[in-house]
Amino acid sequence: MRFDLSDAQKALRDTVRHDLAEHAKHFADSAGAASRDALRRHFASHGWLGAGLPPERGGGRDIVDLAIIARECGRQLIFGSDLLATALVSQTIVACEERASGARNLRELVAGERILSLAYGEPQSRGMPDPIATRAEGANDDLSLFGLKSLVIGGTEVDGYVVSAISGEETVLVLVDAKAAGLSRTQVRLHDGTLACHIELDGVLVNADDVLSRGAGAMAALRAGIARGIAVLCSELIGMLENTIETTAAYLKGRIQFGVPLSSFQALQHRLADMAAELELARSSLLGLLSAIGHSDEETINYRASQTKSLVGRAAKQICGEAIQLHGAVAMVEDSAIGRAYKKSLVSDILLGGSNGHDAQRAEELQRRLSTDELRWLELLPLWWMP
Amino acid sequence: MDLSPDPDLETFRNEVRGFLRRELPPEIAYRPRVFMSRREDIVRWQTILNEQGWGAPSWPKEYGGAGWSPQQCLVFEEECVAAGTPTQDIVGQKLLGPLLQEFGTPDQIAKHFPPILRGESIWAHGFSEAQAGSDLASIRTIAAQDGDDYLVSGTKKWISYAHQADWIFMIARTLPYPDRRGGFHVLLVDMRSVGITIAPIRTVARFHHLNEVIFDAVRVPKANLVGEAGKGWTVARHLLDGSHAAVADLPSLRAYLWQMKELSGNQTAGGKLLVEGREFAIKLGRFEAEVDAITMMVARVAALSQIPERAAELRALSSMLKLRSTDLQQRMIDFLLEAIGDFGAVETDTIENDPTAASLPGFAGNIAPELFFRRSSTIYGGSSEIQRAIIARSHFGM
Repeated sequence: MRFDLSDAQKALRDTVRHDLAEHAKHFADSAGAASRDALRRHFASHGWLGAGLPPERGGGRDIVDLAIIARECGRQLIFGSDLLATALVSQTIVACEERASGARNLRELVAGERILSLAYGEPQSRGMPDPIATRAEGANDDLSLFGLKSLVIGGTEVDGYVVSAISGEETVLVLVDAKAAGLSRTQVRLHDGTLACHIELDGVLVNADDVLSRGAGAMAALRAGIARGIAVLCSELIGMLENTIETTAAYLKGRIQFGVPLSSFQALQHRLADMAAELELARSSLLGLLSAIGHSDEETINYRASQTKSLVGRAAKQICGEAIQLHGAVAMVEDSAIGRAYKKSLVSDILLGGSNGHDAQRAEELQRRLSTDELRWLELLPLWWMP
Repeated sequence: MDLSPDPDLETFRNEVRGFLRRELPPEIAYRPRVFMSRREDIVRWQTILNEQGWGAPSWPKEYGGAGWSPQQCLVFEEECVAAGTPTQDIVGQKLLGPLLQEFGTPDQIAKHFPPILRGESIWAHGFSEAQAGSDLASIRTIAAQDGDDYLVSGTKKWISYAHQADWIFMIARTLPYPDRRGGFHVLLVDMRSVGITIAPIRTVARFHHLNEVIFDAVRVPKANLVGEAGKGWTVARHLLDGSHAAVADLPSLRAYLWQMKELSGNQTAGGKLLVEGREFAIKLGRFEAEVDAITMMVARVAALSQIPERAAELRALSSMLKLRSTDLQQRMIDFLLEAIGDFGAVETDTIENDPTAASLPGFAGNIAPELFFRRSSTIYGGSSEIQRAIIARSHFGM
């Protein structure tokens, strides 16, 4: 394993970093349509929206490249990019069997011509892919959707959705146009300034062409999309936390109280050191996930994604909370960088399942594995091979 | 950045497992220990390893080592812990070896490395004194010049396993010294020298592991100087900085995880298996996630240590690793004590006759001593407070 960026990866990082800084004014307003649009066009023109997708499905870069781009957005506190929404929906589509409608939508998505978002979350599932309450009624592939999807990333500029629903006993993933009859959406602004929609589906018709996947494969595809989405979100958070800690260190060095810089107080040095160590542990967890996405089976990837979401999500809230404390009152000012980062850490713990929710799910998995003798034997194999 | 796992690692792991299955004598496996195994087990195991050419897994080939990659070394250690092998001489392998590879003379290497490989020479590490723990510069052990020798006098304290060591590397000072960090020498001393007395220190772990080592005009040839005379501070710093990754003790963290999983599935509380308790299962999952993150952090430190130009970054990251992994060791061993129920309150080294221990696996008897010992993991090798100071200085320039 090599952790240093290759020359090509450094070039990507530097280009993204430069572009985002250069156009900061235009990109900074997470909720502004013009800003989001400008970002999207810029990313699409560089092929960055397709990063992490297999080349034969419209991509050209791997998951590490996608993480690099996301981290740079985080570093500059640019939360209005389509990177997360695009990764969630495109990776879900790619994990489904290839169909014409999916391929077409993917092409247009990557080119920045059609904006898609993954509509999977519901109020009762709290960011998890199941259980699904949204129903797809009807037979075979002529379906009608009924239900409510919450916190779907993106505002009313979104053109279409990949929706998860239950058809009979099976999970089904379908493409739905935003303008479809029976679909109404309420745009909300989240604490970090980004936009989301709650979507009500009241008899939205879906035809056979738009069914992307059905059955166990559909749920597996959804999980695959979410796992890669978690990698993107956590990469953004890691970049954001770098910024937060650097800002805090600079503040402590510059702020004079009692005739000396705050950075001369050991208690504050130690708190900053703890923040830095927490960040590096979080980063290490993310690297484990990126390694798994590149090289492991889906079960391992999903488990790692849950670990990383939990650990990084918790670290983000912890570090941002400490950063506010070390800044004092100035961090309470609206739109302060520290305040914005803190809000992003809160929203991030709700999207894609919170730390406690993920811990609870892995706990259930461990219960299943460890309370069954046979499965526990497999788990403990290293200890048991001695006769 | 290339995060692909070493493709041959699985083959290597199987090779190690095969070796352990064939060569580890069952009677020395899974013996209780605190930090290091007893001398006779270390020696026996070292002989077996050396026969295989694995006498120094983490050393370069040019020094008689196996020349393995950091990943391979980790896999080897994990498999050894899982199989319950005795430890090797940790001080010789992880501290003295790298120290002499960096600062030693060819004569010192020729004299000391072969006995280490053959298991004929076990080492201790003698830096701390009663008044000099975190503040190493306050040591009072004096090395007086006497022709081609030093005469060393003073008392070292908190010295692990000095009572079973053949050699000790220690730090002393010649007076007068030019400045606070000047005048130090790192010296290799034969524990059989005239003038050395060892006094055990009984600790809460109730295992004899710590000692006072008293030097009374001990004659040490100047040929035993490591690095330049008077420049011992640099040598000592180099050693301490390089020790953090080993102190993280990832194999022990993995062992704790396995032990938790084992207990979770065969111990009950309130009529349910431990793992069926929601809080227990959540904590187990959280520990697992932290250990996996620490695993990557160890890999990052290992990779950085191969790049001399990144020394400052390495110092900061390895301090962060030491800080977090030692804290994790303590939390995990605390949880393990909880998991063994009533027996966790009992002070005993054996579990044969205790009814509360009837259903417990063999390693349960070692949990309390391990727990008491781990209270010192945030103290030795540079306390957590020192690590935070290092991070503040090297990472933030404060």
